[in-house]
Amino acid sequence: MQRRSFLQNLIAKATLLAGAALPYGVARVLAPTEARSDEERNYLRPPGALKDESAFVSACIGCGLCGEVCPPRCIRFHDRDGGDKVNTPYINPEEKACILCDKCMEVCPTEALTKTPRFDIDMGIAQIDRTACYPWVDRGICGACVSICPLGERAIGFKMWYQYQPIVKQACVGCGLCVEVCPHPSLPIWIVERSKGTVAGHTV
Amino acid sequence: MNTKIKPFFLWRHLNKLRWLTLTLVFLMLISLPFIHVYQTYVAAHAYDLLAPSEKQLYDVMETLTAPLTNDPQEKLDAIKGTTWSGTFWEFKLSDPLAIVGQMAAGFTVYTPFLLTALIPVIFTVLFGRFFCGWICPATFLYELNTNVAALLQRFGIKYGNRRFDLRIKYLVLVVGLILSAITGSVLVATIYPPAIIGRELYYTIALGGFGAGTVFFIGTLLFDLLVARRGFCRYLCPGGALYSLLGRFRLVRIRRIVENCNDCAKCNAICEFGLDPLRDHFGQECNNCTACIAICPTNAMTFTLRPMDYPEQGAGHLGRQYRKIPALMDKEVD
Repeated sequence: MQRRSFLQNLIAKATLLAGAALPYGVARVLAPTEARSDEERNYLRPPGALKDESAFVSACIGCGLCGEVCPPRCIRFHDRDGGDKVNTPYINPEEKACILCDKCMEVCPTEALTKTPRFDIDMGIAQIDRTACYPWVDRGICGACVSICPLGERAIGFKMWYQYQPIVKQACVGCGLCVEVCPHPSLPIWIVERSKGTVAGHTV
Repeated sequence: MNTKIKPFFLWRHLNKLRWLTLTLVFLMLISLPFIHVYQTYVAAHAYDLLAPSEKQLYDVMETLTAPLTNDPQEKLDAIKGTTWSGTFWEFKLSDPLAIVGQMAAGFTVYTPFLLTALIPVIFTVLFGRFFCGWICPATFLYELNTNVAALLQRFGIKYGNRRFDLRIKYLVLVVGLILSAITGSVLVATIYPPAIIGRELYYTIALGGFGAGTVFFIGTLLFDLLVARRGFCRYLCPGGALYSLLGRFRLVRIRRIVENCNDCAKCNAICEFGLDPLRDHFGQECNNCTACIAICPTNAMTFTLRPMDYPEQGAGHLGRQYRKIPALMDKEVD
């Protein structure tokens, strides 16, 4: 029968295709995670997350509890974009920033998010592009990032004598509220890993 | 026939209670994201800035929760999470599969997390796969799906009823754990329906979009509909595999009272897991769903405290098969 042979043929080809795609899939799963690209610079882990990214991913069971208690609903979850990070939480301060309320750390059932005192939280550190920030390029006064900062003077302040030119300091925990509030369309303030921050080089 | 053992009359109604708990768990999973969205609106203190549809949600949730608490932002945090892992008034409960998956992924044991699965594990050792029949939000949909299959049958579409080896799911569990260990992330969670449902309901309602899990779950529904009845739970579910292993020597199990049985085989027809209660074959797969107790016309099914199934007891004493054996009949008359 022609239909039967056609179907058999089809199934055989589909099986072949699936079999052929299998190595690619396995390789994809086993591939090392890429270094953070520039687009990803604002994908932060929630406060209290394990420092080591792979340790965090293996500790997180993807239950979503941290997201469910988050008052500003800033904790989102990696999905199809995630790869092996699937269902793990992230905060994108450009959309919504963390308010450091500590609820996610309290609710996390695993050690993925561990209770951390506020000033020991390390989601990253803010970085300011002085070639774009309004006060830094003498395009008016702003100070939005300084006034929103929940950590105060130890984390961000103004440059001495030059009012409204913001300076990030070492106590910054990278909550991203400054990123959320920044009025500049190109967001000259963003969060980077602490090791990549240039805060130490700033003259205060 | 005159010395009949009567099962406790309430066992017949446990199936209704089971549907009630399944419905409650599912409603909980739907309402928690709405409650969370409401809480975020409350936390923002900006009712006037909400869009009309958001205001509507705010008003509805306020009306619903006002009798419960006057501090929604804090007090509504009492119940959070899904069946995968959740908190009830500071009391944390987790799925045993989450523990096993996390241990495989990270090669570490985190004791506080281990303890959150203690109560589920104890219950599973006592009641077997009770989670599968009584709590699992996927079961709720899968059983409705079985009813859809019956409806399709009426329209002339035959649903699949293939049988596979029940041990495939153990392979899925082991391979899932090995892959979790290789990739270093809890991969079993991505193919475990109750975890998927809890997660995807939250994503859909609170974060505005479902993910790949929903697609996978619809796939399992189709598999159940077209290939094998309750096929995913019976042949593929890694959690079901774990519970089957834990509940292998469960203490509370269903048994057939052979004196009351008339071999009508309704229990075999109703059993979602395709077991054989008529021949006393429950095994480690039975999830104590009590559907067979509820449907038995002669009260021949009851609970028993035994670590093993009864050995095959033969034909039911009210059945035709049994009456054909004259020696036994004489004994019966005495």
